[in-house]
Amino acid sequence: MLEIAQFGAGRIGQIHASNIAALKDARLRYVVDVNADAAQKLAARYGAKVVSEREAFADPEVGAVLIASSTDTHARLAIAAARAGKPIFCEKPIDLSLKKVDDCLAEVNKAGVPMFVGFNRRFDPSFSALKRRLDAGEVGAVEQVVITSRDPAPPPLAYLKVSGGMFRDMTIHDFDMARWLLGEEPVEVFAWGEALVDRKIAKAGDIDSAMLILRTASDKMCHINNSRRAVYGYDQRIEVFGANGLLRAENLGETTVEQFTPRGTVSDRPLDFFLERYAEAYRLELSSFISALKTKSAMPVAAHDGRRALVLAEAAIKSLKSGKAEPIA
Amino acid sequence: MITFALFGAGRIGRMHAENLVKRSDAKLLYVVDPKPEAARALAEPLGARQATEAQAFGDPAVQAVLIASSTGSHADLSIAAANAGKAIFCEKPVDLTLAKVEACIKAVKKAKVPMFVGFNRRFDPSFRALKKRLDDGAIGKVEQVIITNRDPGLPEMRFLATSGGLFLDFTIHDFDMARWLLGEEPVEVFARGAVLVDPRVRTEGNDIDTAMLLLRTGSGRMCQISNTRRAVYGYDQRIEVFGSKGMLRAGNLTPTTVERSGGESTCGDNPYPNFQTRYAAAYAAELSSFISSVERRKPAEVPPEDSRRVLLLCEAAQRSATTGKPVKVSKN
Repeated sequence: MLEIAQFGAGRIGQIHASNIAALKDARLRYVVDVNADAAQKLAARYGAKVVSEREAFADPEVGAVLIASSTDTHARLAIAAARAGKPIFCEKPIDLSLKKVDDCLAEVNKAGVPMFVGFNRRFDPSFSALKRRLDAGEVGAVEQVVITSRDPAPPPLAYLKVSGGMFRDMTIHDFDMARWLLGEEPVEVFAWGEALVDRKIAKAGDIDSAMLILRTASDKMCHINNSRRAVYGYDQRIEVFGANGLLRAENLGETTVEQFTPRGTVSDRPLDFFLERYAEAYRLELSSFISALKTKSAMPVAAHDGRRALVLAEAAIKSLKSGKAEPIA
Repeated sequence: MITFALFGAGRIGRMHAENLVKRSDAKLLYVVDPKPEAARALAEPLGARQATEAQAFGDPAVQAVLIASSTGSHADLSIAAANAGKAIFCEKPVDLTLAKVEACIKAVKKAKVPMFVGFNRRFDPSFRALKKRLDDGAIGKVEQVIITNRDPGLPEMRFLATSGGLFLDFTIHDFDMARWLLGEEPVEVFARGAVLVDPRVRTEGNDIDTAMLLLRTGSGRMCQISNTRRAVYGYDQRIEVFGSKGMLRAGNLTPTTVERSGGESTCGDNPYPNFQTRYAAAYAAELSSFISSVERRKPAEVPPEDSRRVLLLCEAAQRSATTGKPVKVSKN
């Protein structure tokens, strides 16, 4: 039985806690949160105990930590966990600054603890099936990847201001998918961004619409399109074009019911909210973390992947400012 | 009844000729081709006659010309047709050089004849319905356009060497669609091209076979284009327009809607295999639009100015792909 100490009792923390509770080989032992009420409520629901950071790290019974607190605490907690010798599941992003991510990775490597970064989309059953079939050679060599990632509605401005900007906050998922699907590191990013949805977003120094092109050394290309507001729901699609064909994964609706009317045929809108759309992905990423721990195998999404995605985000931000294609370090 | 002389007895010329003779409001009088026997072989079974350029332009019974000859001859034939006072339907592109396109626009203006450029995709029933709903405000303001244009297979290498390159020969259609759907002129282009399909495309064709492009308008609308010369599953022709109030999509068309569900999976038809089959309705509809504009003395729906704008985008894309930098598009 793996005893887990979880940091963060907010929205995403609640998802992880309920997924832990559904597992036979893991148990939520501790909940740590600056908000004592939230921590207490979550702990009570799953028979866990509210403790301080120090208590959680000091307990030798704790076999892993799950970091689902606010972004600015991820790196610090991961470093503390590494020093305490605990395997780490860390929500994305590790941090918004590359310097802090590098510091964190250095500590994690030094301690030799496994670290998993929660790029949940890789575990979506459709996307992971697509990747499996890609790897099995069903469409031959990859030539073009097209990623559509549009949020249903912009988050509050207060959030945007601390989010690190759209590329670090939202496109970071697509950068991870791009690397994963291209099967090669991008060597160049070109990005255009605009505030088309809400001028207030521009005033807050951010963008809400973007199109990007990534290129690898062997000239495989990837296009990403983003918007903070798709009125029809959470638009999450992938297309991989290869020498021998095309693989596509489309949006999921709540049901598959179609209504035929005099004016046309109507089906469900895509699932609206990331917690619903990726519910299965959150469940599967956790079991894959635990299974990698048990079998002592490599983490399917490692700290290095978190770093690479951030490197791409920073290059995209640079491209947005320079108006030029930017090489990837 | 509009009477036509057709220039070009090749693949496209034959298709247009067959579309013409099916119509009750058009008559094909002549077919002109550098190979008179090819012209005769096409003309006679359709009740038309082989003729020389001079005969076709000199006959006052000819009201309109349909130019479907090789690209290099389009502009000269259009200018000659304008000087002879004929209405002009010209296959895309008018020419690969800006100078010749401009000379053509000038001649047409001076002669006051209508000229239509065959950007057939605008006349595809699905794309047209999409555009109509866009214009009706079905999805609010346009923000992002995504165009997928993948050919089923590589053309012959000797064709590539004279085609003007992927952007001028192939992406040109997408540039036209982009302008049409964005509803604003693109002001900047970023293009990345590659040879991923066949190394001979570079060594023998001096061309690329794969590309991704981004276009941007003055108000920040964006368009992305994906191209390849080889999609093993057919002719991949899709459009997606994302707006402030929703999204419009037009997917591929298949010859039939039959699906087979087997023990492991469900399998339907591939998209139509080539442009002749995929855009059969579009080719017929563009001819209707041209004929109706000539009959009603209205401006052509796709005037040569559009071809010029598209050529500017092609040139910007070429420069961008060569330099690796985004390129501003001339406003004039």
